[in-house]
Amino acid sequence: MDKATVVVIGGGATGVGILRDLAMRGVDVLLVEKCDLVNGASSRYHGLLHSGGRYAVKDQEAAKECIIENQILRKIGTSCVEPTGGMFVRLDIDDPDYEGLWVKGCADSGIEAKPITLEEAFRLEPLLSKHVVSAYLVPDAAIDGFRMSWQNVESAKRYGGRFQTYREVVGVLQENGQVKGIEVRNTITGEIEKIACDILVNAAGGWAGKVAALAGLEVGVQPDKGTLLAFNQRITNHVVNRLHKSSDGDIFVPHGSITILGTSSMSIPDPEDTSSSREEVENLLAIGEKTFENLRDYRMLRAFAGSRPLYMPPGGASGRGASRGFAIVDHANDGLKGMMTIVGGKFTTYRLMAEKIVDQICAKLNVTEPCRTAEEPLVPEVSENDKKEARKYFPAFGTNLAATRLGPERFARVADSLKNHPEKRELVCECENVTLAEVEEIARDLSSFQINDIRRRTRIGMGTCQANFCALRSAAVFAKYGQDNGARDSIGQMKQFLQGRWKGIRPVLVGRTLREIEMTRALYELSFHVNGGKKA
Amino acid sequence: MSELTKAIKEKTESMLTADHCLSCTSCMAGCPVMEASREYRGPKLVGPAHNRMRFSQEDVEESLDFCSNCKSCDRACPSGVEVSTLNMLRRAEYYKTHPHSQRDDMLAHGERMAKLVRSMPFGASCANLGMKIGKSLGIFKSIGIAGERDMPAYASKSFLSMFKDIRQTSSEKKIVFYPGCFINENDPEVGVAFVKVMQKNGYEVLVDREFNCCGSPLVVTGYLDEALEHAHNNVARIYHWKQQGIPVVACCTSCSLMLKKEYHELFDEPEMKEAAENVYDAFEFLAMLEDEGKLNTKFGSLTHHLLYHVPCHLKSQGFGTPAAHILGKIPGIKVELADAGCCGMSGNYGFKQDKYDISMKIGERLFERIATSKADTVISDCGTCRLQIQHGGHVEPCHPVEILAKAYGEG
Repeated sequence: MDKATVVVIGGGATGVGILRDLAMRGVDVLLVEKCDLVNGASSRYHGLLHSGGRYAVKDQEAAKECIIENQILRKIGTSCVEPTGGMFVRLDIDDPDYEGLWVKGCADSGIEAKPITLEEAFRLEPLLSKHVVSAYLVPDAAIDGFRMSWQNVESAKRYGGRFQTYREVVGVLQENGQVKGIEVRNTITGEIEKIACDILVNAAGGWAGKVAALAGLEVGVQPDKGTLLAFNQRITNHVVNRLHKSSDGDIFVPHGSITILGTSSMSIPDPEDTSSSREEVENLLAIGEKTFENLRDYRMLRAFAGSRPLYMPPGGASGRGASRGFAIVDHANDGLKGMMTIVGGKFTTYRLMAEKIVDQICAKLNVTEPCRTAEEPLVPEVSENDKKEARKYFPAFGTNLAATRLGPERFARVADSLKNHPEKRELVCECENVTLAEVEEIARDLSSFQINDIRRRTRIGMGTCQANFCALRSAAVFAKYGQDNGARDSIGQMKQFLQGRWKGIRPVLVGRTLREIEMTRALYELSFHVNGGKKA
Repeated sequence: MSELTKAIKEKTESMLTADHCLSCTSCMAGCPVMEASREYRGPKLVGPAHNRMRFSQEDVEESLDFCSNCKSCDRACPSGVEVSTLNMLRRAEYYKTHPHSQRDDMLAHGERMAKLVRSMPFGASCANLGMKIGKSLGIFKSIGIAGERDMPAYASKSFLSMFKDIRQTSSEKKIVFYPGCFINENDPEVGVAFVKVMQKNGYEVLVDREFNCCGSPLVVTGYLDEALEHAHNNVARIYHWKQQGIPVVACCTSCSLMLKKEYHELFDEPEMKEAAENVYDAFEFLAMLEDEGKLNTKFGSLTHHLLYHVPCHLKSQGFGTPAAHILGKIPGIKVELADAGCCGMSGNYGFKQDKYDISMKIGERLFERIATSKADTVISDCGTCRLQIQHGGHVEPCHPVEILAKAYGEG
C-alpha cells in the first residue's frame, strides 16, 4: 500500500499550493486528483490575478489579501503571470457615487488606483466604449491557471512531493476516530487502490462536500457557477473592469492570445455541471458590449463554466453576497482526527490559503520549517541567452510562450529536438503556434492520459480553429509517444478531444463560430468519416 | 486624422479582418509561392495566425519576405480576410527598424529613376545601353537583381510625350487616362491603343500630369510611408476629376487595383474608398459601356487565336474577364483563357535574385500552356505579367486593348 504522511485531495489551485508548501517544508506529501490538474474552478475562471480592486468596496479584507498575494505571485510566478495591468472604467450609466467609495476603498486597502485621462484610457485601450467617463489603472494581471498549477507541481516534485491524476477518492479509511488513509479508484483502469496517510486534506473545491461525506462529515459548499466567454483575439491590452458594484459580465481579461469575458453567478446543485446555455452567453454579451461597444463583431471561440466553491457556514449568504473568503475546518472537532478541509477563497489567494493550512498541519506534525512559498520562484526561468539561441529553431512569436510553458529542462530538450530534427519544427497547432517537438515532449509525460491533458499544457486546440487541424495531428503524435495504452486508441482520443471542444462551442454557435464548426463536421464526419464504418 | 483616432482605427481594422479567419487553410492551398517553395510558411500563419500571437514577444517572421502580394490568398479566403494586406502592413513595420537594401530601393523607385533618365538628352537610349552593359557585367546581379532577366527597356518616347502629338476628336464625354509607370515609360503603345479605343467609343481622353506612381512597387518593398504620400496625391487628383464627373481609367491592373482597393485596405481613410468609386480598369469601363449598349462594335475582321493570361490583380478586382468577352465579339478572333494561375512575376518580385527561381517555378504552368496552345498571340492586361510571359514563355505578348484598337481598323 502506498503511503504518505499527508494526502491532499484535489488538484486545483489550493491543492497544488498545499502540495508545494508541504513538500518545501520537507513533509512527505501526495496529491490525488480525479481528473487532470486544474479541472475545476482553477482553470474555469477568468485567469485574473486580482489587484483587489474588485473587492475594495465590499470586502476590504479580501482586497488587502489580494494585493499582497498579487505582488507575491508577480514575483514568484514570472512564467505564469502576465503583468498586463488593469483598468477600471466607469461608464456614463454607472453610479458616480460608487466611484468615490471605490477610490477610498482602494486607498484603505493599499491598492494603488491611478486616475488617468480619457485620452490616455483610449490610447491604452483603443476599443473601449466612448461612454467611459472615468478610468483608473490598478495592478491587476493575467495568470494562467494551467501553467500556474503545473509549475507548483514541478516545484513540489523538486522537494519530493508526489501527485497522481485520474485517481478519484471513493472512501476515507478511519480507525477509532483517526484517519488512516483513502481508497482511490483509478478512473482509467477502474482499479481500486488504498493509500495510507496520517493527515488527509480535503481541498476538493466544489467537491469538498462530497469528499467530506465519504468520511461521514458535513461541509457546506455551494457550487456557484460562472460562465465565461473566450474571444479569438486580444480585444484588450489590460484587464478591464467596470467600475460599479460588482456584477455579471463586467471583467475582460487578455489571456494569452485570447480575451476572456465573465462572469455570471448562479447557484447549482452539482459542481460537475460545467454547461453553459445560449441565454447565459447572451446575457454576458449584453453586459460586455456596454464596455466594448463592438463586442459582437469579435469572434467568440467558446463558452466555458466553472463553479466557485462558496463556503456556506450555517446561515450564510449565497451567490455574490457570499464571502469570497476561505475557511479551514479541522474535523477533529467533528470527531475525526487527522482530516482537514479547506474551502472557499479565490484563485489569487491560493498561496496564502495553502500557507495557512500548512501551518496548522505542520503544527500537528511538529514540523517547524517556515513557509517559503512567497520567496522562492515557482520554477526557474529559461535564461535570455537560451531563449535567444533557441529562437533560431522556434517558430516566430513562439519562443517566449514555449519557455514559460515548458520551464528550463523541457525547454532545453524541445529546443534540442527542434535544432537536430528540422521536421519537428512543423506546427501541430497552427493557431497557438505549438511545434511537433513540444507536443511530443508533453505526450511522453507519464501524466498525459488524454489529448486534453496535452492541450492544457501546450494550448493545442485552444485557438482559432478549436482543434480542427490539430486533433488529427495530435492523436497521431499521442499514439506514437503516449505512455498510457489508451493513447493507442487514436480515433477514440481524437473524438474525445473534439467533443470537449464542441461542448464549449455549442453555446456560442453563431456567425463565424458556426462556420468554423461546419468545417469541423466536414473534415471529420465527411472527409475522414470518423463516425462511420461501424456495423449496425 | 489624429494619432489617437489612427491608433484606434488600426487596432479595429487589423483585428476585424484577421478575426474573420477560420484557419481553414484555403489561402495556403491557393498560394502560388507556397506551391513553389517550402520556405514560405504561408498566408494563414504569417497573416492572421501570427496576428494573434504578436502579443507574446517582439519578433520577426523571416518568411514574410516570400509573400509576393499576388493576392491569391485574399481571393481564396471564404471569409474576406485581407491576408496580403496584413502581410504588407507587417512588412512595412519590419522596415521601420531594418534598413532597406539598395536593390529594394531601386525596384521600389522606378518612377524616380525614369524621371532622371528622361531629364537627360538621349537618356532612354543611354539607360537601355547601360542596363544591357550592366546586365552583362553582372552589376544587377551583384546587388540582388535577377541576372537572368532583362530590365524593362525605356521606350524612346514616354506615353505622356507621345500623347501630346495625338490628335483627338474632342467630345463632351471625357475620361482621364492613368497610364502608370510601366505604360508611360516602357510600353507607351498600350496607352496609344487605349486612346484610340476610347476615341472610337466617342470619348475624349485626358491625362493628368500631377498623378504619380500608384505606389504598388513601394508597398511590396515596405516603403509604406512613401506609398501613403503617393496615395494622398493620387486620391486628391481622383477627387478633382470626380467632382467634374470625369472617371479615371487605367490599363494596368496593378495600378487600378491600388487606386481602387489597396489604398483603403492599407491606409483606411474614408476618402480613399470614395475616390475609388471613380476609378475603373479599362475593360471594366468598356464592359459598362457594353451593358448600356454604348460599346462601339463596328469591328473589322482579324485572324487571331488569343491565349489570355488573366493577371492576379485583375482577378482581385472582381469584375470577371470582360476582355475575353469583348475581344470575342471581333470577327475572326478566338479567345482562349490560359487558366494557368499566377505567372510568378508579381510586379518587382520576379526581379529579385533570391526570388527568381520561385518566380519561374510559379510560371511553369503558364509557360507550358503557352508552349502547347495553338494560339498565335498571348494577351495580358498587366505589364509585368507580359514581361514574365516574354521571359519564360518566349513569345511577344500584348495588352488586350491593343487587339481591340487593331479591330477598329486604321484611322
